[in-house]
Amino acid sequence: MNPEDLKYHKEHTWVKVSNRKATIGITHYAQEALGDIVYIDLPEVDINIEVNSEIGEIESTKATSSIISPISGRVIEVNEELSEAPEIVNEDPYGKGWIAIIEIDDITEINDLMDASEYEKYVEEEAK
Amino acid sequence: MKLAILGAGPGGYVAAIKAAQLGAQVTIIEEGEVGGTCLNWGCIPTKSFVASTELLAKTRKLEEFGIELKGEIVPNISKIIERKNKIVTTQIKGIKGLFKSWGITLKKGRGFLVSPKEIVVTSKNGSQEKVEADTIIIATGSRPAQIPLFPFDGNKIISSEDALNLDIPKSLLIIGAGVIGCEFACIYKELGSEVSIVEMLPRAIATEDLEISKLFERELKKKNIKLYTNVKVEKIDVRDDGIHAFLSDRREILAEKILVSIGRAFNSDNIGLEVIGINKGNRREIIVNEKMETTIPGIYAVGDVIGGFLLAHVASREGITAARNIMGGDEKIDYRTVPSAIFTSPEIASVGLREHQALERGVKVKTGHFQFRALSKAHIIGDITGFLKVVSDETSDRILGVHIIGPHASEIIHEGALAIKTGLKTRDIIETIHAHPTLSEGLMEAAEDVHGEAIHIPRK
Repeated sequence: MNPEDLKYHKEHTWVKVSNRKATIGITHYAQEALGDIVYIDLPEVDINIEVNSEIGEIESTKATSSIISPISGRVIEVNEELSEAPEIVNEDPYGKGWIAIIEIDDITEINDLMDASEYEKYVEEEAK
Repeated sequence: MKLAILGAGPGGYVAAIKAAQLGAQVTIIEEGEVGGTCLNWGCIPTKSFVASTELLAKTRKLEEFGIELKGEIVPNISKIIERKNKIVTTQIKGIKGLFKSWGITLKKGRGFLVSPKEIVVTSKNGSQEKVEADTIIIATGSRPAQIPLFPFDGNKIISSEDALNLDIPKSLLIIGAGVIGCEFACIYKELGSEVSIVEMLPRAIATEDLEISKLFERELKKKNIKLYTNVKVEKIDVRDDGIHAFLSDRREILAEKILVSIGRAFNSDNIGLEVIGINKGNRREIIVNEKMETTIPGIYAVGDVIGGFLLAHVASREGITAARNIMGGDEKIDYRTVPSAIFTSPEIASVGLREHQALERGVKVKTGHFQFRALSKAHIIGDITGFLKVVSDETSDRILGVHIIGPHASEIIHEGALAIKTGLKTRDIIETIHAHPTLSEGLMEAAEDVHGEAIHIPRK
């Protein structure tokens, strides 16, 4: 269910790397746990972000939750569509529901992330 | 006891009634209308507008509540103002009625102290009259402070008083993201202006807890109200296409009008204070002791003119304290339990210590939080934004502060004020059954969260 070509962070974000650019978003598990998403506070374009730090916040009808960056770098694009239609993240967390594109500082950070099967196990553990 | 009071705002009029209840013979002098800034230019008119704009906002999402609207929703500015005027007039009559019932004499005109026991009142038509008293209370209040570089002109550069005309511009720049600036930002935005706010400090509503500012700033973002912090307006230039405001970080904002809400100036000039030698502070506020007495015995001062909180309910409490002390009492005010209520959207209210204040003072605290969106009542009323926060002493468990942003914050806060006033612990709130479904349940849950025991928060 979680795409094989993505890498996963323990705070339930994902990264897709192409060249030195990383597209990031939240996982299917995260959107399901949050429920109906009503607002996404997106990071600002051009700011530098650190891995494991809060880069934005998601509000659902039952909770508010930080978006934790899976990687360090500079934000070069954010998904503006989510300002008007945050429910896209519920509908398509790995596709149209992407959150931001980051220019990667240190590509080796990717090695600290989980692959799809590791993440699946991790989620199963957490759900226990 | 003959008591004369200068100014019939929430400080003066409440002092008048309290003193009359205690047997004083009271004369109160007012240049404008009774009720002062609060009733005529502040709390009451703005909250009347907030009632209109809140209803407007709610009407815009009628469908959510299963109600269909056939037709358009159009705010009618002149009717909104008419409604406000009616509310104000009713309250003015109410105060005058109270004066009459307590035998208080109201003299219209500007008062000037000619001696510690005499005030000369000059009426609008120029006639003068002398009022003699054993004791005097000065409650002359405050007015909007202006920026010397570009003073108010009532049209392009407006004060919070001019803003009551609701002459809604296409774009409005507000200087000062304090309480007044942010309240007007929400009102004008809802009525159709594009609003930006410039603030010298690092955050909006900097008097409140950091987390409150953070959430409020996000709400501004949601409303498309632009907030610029850590920045000043250095210069403005009025051109044909509007007012160009030049900021200290070299940015430029173009707006049709500018609302200056940078604070208040004290009404302590031209009332004779120098004649009788009453001391003033650096900001021209009147200096008083804990009993509300000025540096001249027998002359008291209360409300905005003595500086401090600049809140109507504080002025009223000071008025009561002054009146009681004049009538033989010996009391002072416990300012630790002054609640604040800010009628932005969402509403903000707080009482007691902010978390960062506790840390600055070296007080070890615990905090508990609860999100309104975890309450069924918040979903029922369709208003889920915000949270409640309890700050308590780590060792004694006593409640030191309560901070709320969200629906009806200004009503819920009083449970917190009473808790701090009476030295309650978070346990006392936790063990008090709160009715369901209500928003007040949120305070109980926030208190529970101090101990990680909230029922409606998932395991952390």
